[in-house]
Amino acid sequence: MLSLFPNLLKRLLCAAALACVAVAAQAQTAKPDPNGPPDQLVLIVANQALTALKAGGSTQESDIARINKVVDQYVLPYIDFEKTTRLAAGRYWRQATPQQRTDLARAFRGTLIRTYSGALTRVDPSTKISLLPKRSNDVQGDDAVVRTTITASTNAQPVEVDYRLGKGPQGWQIYDLNVEAVWLIQNYRNQFAQQIEQSGIDGLIKALNARNSGN
Amino acid sequence: MSMPLTSRFAAAGLACALMAGCAAPSHPDSRDPWEGFNRGVYNFNDTVDHLMIRPVATLYSTVVPDPVQSCVHNIFSNLGDVWGGINLMLQERGLDAFNMWGRFMLNTTMGLGGCLDIASRTGDPKIPSDFGTTLGVWGLHQGPYLVLPLLGPSSVRDGVGITADWFGNPLALNNIHNVGLRNSLYGLTFVDKRASLLGATNTIDQTALDPYSFVRDAYLQRRAAMVRGNKPNTDALPNYNDEDETAPPAAPSPSAAPAAPAK
Repeated sequence: MLSLFPNLLKRLLCAAALACVAVAAQAQTAKPDPNGPPDQLVLIVANQALTALKAGGSTQESDIARINKVVDQYVLPYIDFEKTTRLAAGRYWRQATPQQRTDLARAFRGTLIRTYSGALTRVDPSTKISLLPKRSNDVQGDDAVVRTTITASTNAQPVEVDYRLGKGPQGWQIYDLNVEAVWLIQNYRNQFAQQIEQSGIDGLIKALNARNSGN
Repeated sequence: MSMPLTSRFAAAGLACALMAGCAAPSHPDSRDPWEGFNRGVYNFNDTVDHLMIRPVATLYSTVVPDPVQSCVHNIFSNLGDVWGGINLMLQERGLDAFNMWGRFMLNTTMGLGGCLDIASRTGDPKIPSDFGTTLGVWGLHQGPYLVLPLLGPSSVRDGVGITADWFGNPLALNNIHNVGLRNSLYGLTFVDKRASLLGATNTIDQTALDPYSFVRDAYLQRRAAMVRGNKPNTDALPNYNDEDETAPPAAPSPSAAPAAPAK
């Protein structure tokens, strides 16, 4: 039993490494196309980011600067921060002045970057993302959902991560994501409302910025 | 842990809640009528977590090699798949139930007692389920949100579910009669569970405006999704009523943007 274990593990690691090389090769040839199918966009963007991260070795909590750089370069161009913020603010968005809207979106952007980056602190050479089978209602007009699973390491259980995309003048952009059935925007709506009722929209901007500079 | 210990912690949580004064919440949520009390228990849990539980879990995840950690995690998870399958059957999800039992058999044999999650790799991922979810499928509402001492977010319905899981699960650790072994395994499951949540709790600490409502809203969203299951249901996607779709876009004034770009 025990002598079998390292062999099996080795073979599994080998298979995973081969899969990674294949993924890396694919990621290098394909370029993200915001006007193409949304699922391919998500897959290619994610794989490019993973390839870039893996190039610097496995990531840890302390690598946050390196992770932020990769997220900044490979992921952020495909995220619609303004829409995420608008939807999280809900009915309060109407009460906000144009200046407040800009400031709020910028402040929340910092929070979101840390959310996306935080998810990438446990990348190792075997980390991979795969698309789940498409459903008939995944794309509805200018709105789409892309379902994926992310497997952090060889023997870890896969985590389901879904992305919500909207199509605008710049093509498809991600505006919401879901980790194990928890949608990000829905999870910020109460917190936004709570803070706005306590100290107004300016108070919310201040609170977000305080959290951003605190790290 | 033994019952007296649990009840002692419950009493401590209650005392904490009373000391916190059950302040009226600033943004009441109809799903959380006991928010004042819950926040008290939450603060108590958070304190215990920071003082004792998190340091132990962090030590565990730092010292123990990753393959061993995932092996331990998978073994406990594998033991839960039988009860998960029974619940899926009770929810009339027969195919998913058989998938879970198939997972259990494959992982217990080929996966060396559950250490390796072969089934996930061959395209048969775990479908987590429990009796709280079953009650939900049978039509029972969540009831008020409830934060349990040490166990964390729950609800009246899911609290009942946890009790049933405790007694109903044929492979639960409480079936082990050797007290020393049983208690060691309890400790290990607890540390394993906490360690597997370290990433999530660190992210919450760094990103949540109000960790209490972040955890509550995430819990309720997740439980609702588990009850909904895999029914092909378009309503499963949140509808945010984008009010701005027709309004003119906010014109950012390039001259007045003093704040540094968030990085």
